[in-house]
Amino acid sequence: MKKYGELVAERSFLLSALASSSITVAILAFMVFMGLPLMKQAGFYQLLVKPWAPYQGTFGIYPMIVGTGCISLLSLVVAFPLSLGCSFLIATIAPKPVSKGLRRLIELMTGIPTVIYGFVGIFLLVPYIRELFRSGSGLCVLTAALVLGIMITPTMTLFFCDSFDRIPRSYLTAAEALGASRTQKLLYVILPCAKMGMLNGVILALGRAVGDTLVALMLAGNSVRVPGSVLEPARTLTAHIALVIAADYESPEFRSIFACGIVLYLFTMMVTFLVRYLSFAEGRRD
Amino acid sequence: MTEAIKIKVADLSFSYRDRPILKNVNVDFAENSITALTGPSGVGKSTFLMTLNRLWENLPDADMTGTVEIRLQGRFRNVYAPSMSVTELRKMVAMVFQAPNPLPMSIRKNIAFPLKLAGEGNREFMAHKVEHALRMANLWDEVKDRLNDDARTLSGGQQQRLCIARALVLEPEVLLLDEPTSSLDQTSIAVIEELLLGLKDRLTILLVSHYLEQVSRISDTIVRFDDNTIIS
Amino acid sequence: MKTRIFEKFTVVFAWLAGLVLLAGVCLLLGYLFFKGHASLNLSLIFGDTPPLRALLLKQRVFEGLFPAVAGTFVLVVLSIAWAIPFGIATGIYLAEYAGPRVKRALDALFDVLSGMPSIVIGLFGFSFAVFLHKHYSDRIGPCLLISSIALSFLVLPYIIRTTQAALEGVPLNIRLTALALGATRLQNIFLVLIPRSVSGIMSGIILAIGRCAEDTAVIMLTGAVASAGLPRSLFSQYEALPFFIYYISSQYADSEELMQGYGASIVLLFLCALLFVTAYGIRKGLSHFVFYRP
Repeated sequence: MKKYGELVAERSFLLSALASSSITVAILAFMVFMGLPLMKQAGFYQLLVKPWAPYQGTFGIYPMIVGTGCISLLSLVVAFPLSLGCSFLIATIAPKPVSKGLRRLIELMTGIPTVIYGFVGIFLLVPYIRELFRSGSGLCVLTAALVLGIMITPTMTLFFCDSFDRIPRSYLTAAEALGASRTQKLLYVILPCAKMGMLNGVILALGRAVGDTLVALMLAGNSVRVPGSVLEPARTLTAHIALVIAADYESPEFRSIFACGIVLYLFTMMVTFLVRYLSFAEGRRD
Repeated sequence: MTEAIKIKVADLSFSYRDRPILKNVNVDFAENSITALTGPSGVGKSTFLMTLNRLWENLPDADMTGTVEIRLQGRFRNVYAPSMSVTELRKMVAMVFQAPNPLPMSIRKNIAFPLKLAGEGNREFMAHKVEHALRMANLWDEVKDRLNDDARTLSGGQQQRLCIARALVLEPEVLLLDEPTSSLDQTSIAVIEELLLGLKDRLTILLVSHYLEQVSRISDTIVRFDDNTIIS
Repeated sequence: MKTRIFEKFTVVFAWLAGLVLLAGVCLLLGYLFFKGHASLNLSLIFGDTPPLRALLLKQRVFEGLFPAVAGTFVLVVLSIAWAIPFGIATGIYLAEYAGPRVKRALDALFDVLSGMPSIVIGLFGFSFAVFLHKHYSDRIGPCLLISSIALSFLVLPYIIRTTQAALEGVPLNIRLTALALGATRLQNIFLVLIPRSVSGIMSGIILAIGRCAEDTAVIMLTGAVASAGLPRSLFSQYEALPFFIYYISSQYADSEELMQGYGASIVLLFLCALLFVTAYGIRKGLSHFVFYRP
C-alpha cells in the first residue's frame, strides 16, 4: 500500500513539473499560431523592417523595435553608473551602518510597482522635461529612459553586490595584509574578479528593461514613427501590444501584436541562454 | 649579548564576541631575531599576530585593550595611535598566512601588487624590485622564465614562497608568519626554513608554529602561549 | 600620482551615485505623499457608502476604491491558489527526483519563463481566452479566471525556484537522518525536508503575492476593466488597483479623480511594502521558530 502511494506522489510531482515547463513552450506555440495569417501574408522578415502604416497596408513593427531598442539602451546608460556607484558604496566605500541601510533601502525599492513609477513620472517628470527642453509634450524617449533607468537600478545594484560577495575571502585578506585601502581593494581585486558576474547583471537588467510595459506605455508617447531624437516620442513592442489589443480580432493590425510577442519571446530566450552560458563558462574557469 | 627591542606589547587583552581570547599579555621582541610563538590550538596565537598589524579591525564584534609599540624607522610608534595609518603600518609590518593566498593574477603582478598600492608607476623600478624580492625568497630561479603565468599554477611550496616574496617587496621591518609551513611537504618546509634564517639579519621575524622541531631548529627565542596568555 | 587621483575619483563617484539614487527615491515617494496625503481617508475606499455595509456586501460602492481593492484581493488569492500546488510540487521534483540532464532542461525552461515580459504572458492569456471563446463556449472571454491563471504563470518560477533552493539547502546530515532510520523518500520529504524549508518557501510565496498584487500588464489584457463593481463570478470582468491607477493617469476627468489616483498609489505602495516586510520577517522569524522549537 505504501509503495503505491509513493508512486502516485512521485508521478504527480513529475506531471506538475512537465505541465509547468510546457507553459514556456505553449506561449510560443500560441503566438505563432495566432500570428500566422499575418506572417504568411507579409513574411516575417518583412514585418521586422517595414514601418507601421495601416492605411497603406503595411503592418511592419520596425518602429517599435527601434523604440524598444532606444529606450532600453538609454535606460542602461542611466542605470549602469548609478548601480556601479551604489554597489561600490555598499561593498567597501561606505561605513558599515550606511552600507547596510543603503542595501535595505535598495531591496525595498525592488518592491515598488512599475505602475507607480509611471504614474509619478507623468505628473512630475513629464512637465519638467517639457519645460526644460521646450520641445514636444514631454512624453518622449528621454523621459521613459530616465524613469526606466531608475527602476532597474536596484536590481542591477543587488546583482553587482552579490557578485562582489562571491569573491573568495583569501584574496581580500591578502590585499588587506598588504596594506590596501578600501578603495584599492575594490578597484584592484574585487572588480577584476567580479567582471563576469557584473556582465550577467547588465544583460539581465537589459532583459527587464526590454520587457517593461507600463513605463514606456505611460511616458514615451506611443507615436508610430521611428524616433529621430531622444526628445521625440516612440512606441515599444510592449506598449504596442497593450495599445492594439482592443482592435478587431481578425484584422492584420491585431495580428501584428503577435509578431511583437514573438520578437520579445525570442529576445528573452536569447538573453536567458546568454546569461546561462556566461555563468557556466565562468564556473568552469575557476 | 642583548639585541635592541623591536616590539613592545603591554597589557594586551583581546575578546571576540564577548569571549576572551587573550588576557593581559606582556612581552617584548628583540630586533633581528626569529621568535617562535607556540602553544596548544585555539589559545590565541594567530589572534596575537593580528594585533600587531591591526588586521583584526575588519572583524565585527572584536575588542582590544592594551598597547602595542613597534620601533619603525628608528622611533617607537604606538601602533594604535590615531596618527598611525593602517595601510602604512601594514607596509612596514608584513604578514604571511597559513594557506598561501596568491591573488588571481600573474606571478609578476602578484609581487608588484604592493608597489602598485603604494602608487609606484615606474616599470623598470618595479621589475627590479620584483626580481629582488623573488631572489630574497629563493624563488627567482624557478619562476624567472614564467613571470606571466598565473600564480595559482605554482605548487603549494612555491605559492607560499611567492607570498613571502610579495610580503618582502616593500622591505618591511617586521615579518609575521602564521604557521607558514603547515600545509607544505618536507622539502618545501626545509627551503622556507632556510629562507627565514637568511632573512633574520634584515628583519624581525615572528613565527607561529605547532612543530616543536621546526621551532627548535630555527628560532632564537620561544614564547609559549597557554590559557590565553604567555607563560615563558 | 595618477592612480591616486583615480582612486579619489572613484570614491566621489560612488557617493554621488548613492545620493542621486536616494534623491530619486525620495522625490518619488515624497511627491506621492505630498500630493496624495489629503485623500487618505475612509471615503477614498468606500466613497459615500458606509464601510460596514460595503464590507458586508449589502450596498454597492461607487466613487470608491473598494471594488478595485476587492478585485485585487480575489485575484491574488486565486492566482496563488493555482500557483502554489504546481510550484511546490515542481520544486520538490527538481530538488529530490530529477536527474541532472532533466534538471538542466527544466531549469532552462523555467529561466526563460521567469525572464518573460509580463505583457507576453498577458498576451498568452488573452490568446487562450480567444481560443476558448471560439472553440468552446461563446460566454468565455477575458475574465477573472483567465487573469488569475495567467498571473499564476507569471509567479510560478518564483515559487519553483525558492522551493527548490530551500530544499537543496538542507544540510546533508539532516537529509540522511530519517532515511537511515528507515523512512521512505516521501516520508523524508514531508516530515523532515519540507518543515525545514518552510521559511524559504513562505518567503517565495509572499514574493509571489507581491508580484501578483502589483502587476498591471497581465491583467490589462485578460480582464481588468475600469469599472465593473465587485467581482461577481469567475467568468466576469473585474477591477484591480494597479489597473485603476493606470487608467486614471490617462483618463482622469477632474482633480477629484486625480486625487483618487494618488490615494490608490499610496494604498498600493503601502500594500507592497507590507508584503515585502512580511516576507523579510518570515525569513528571519520563522527560521528562528523552526530551529528553536522545544
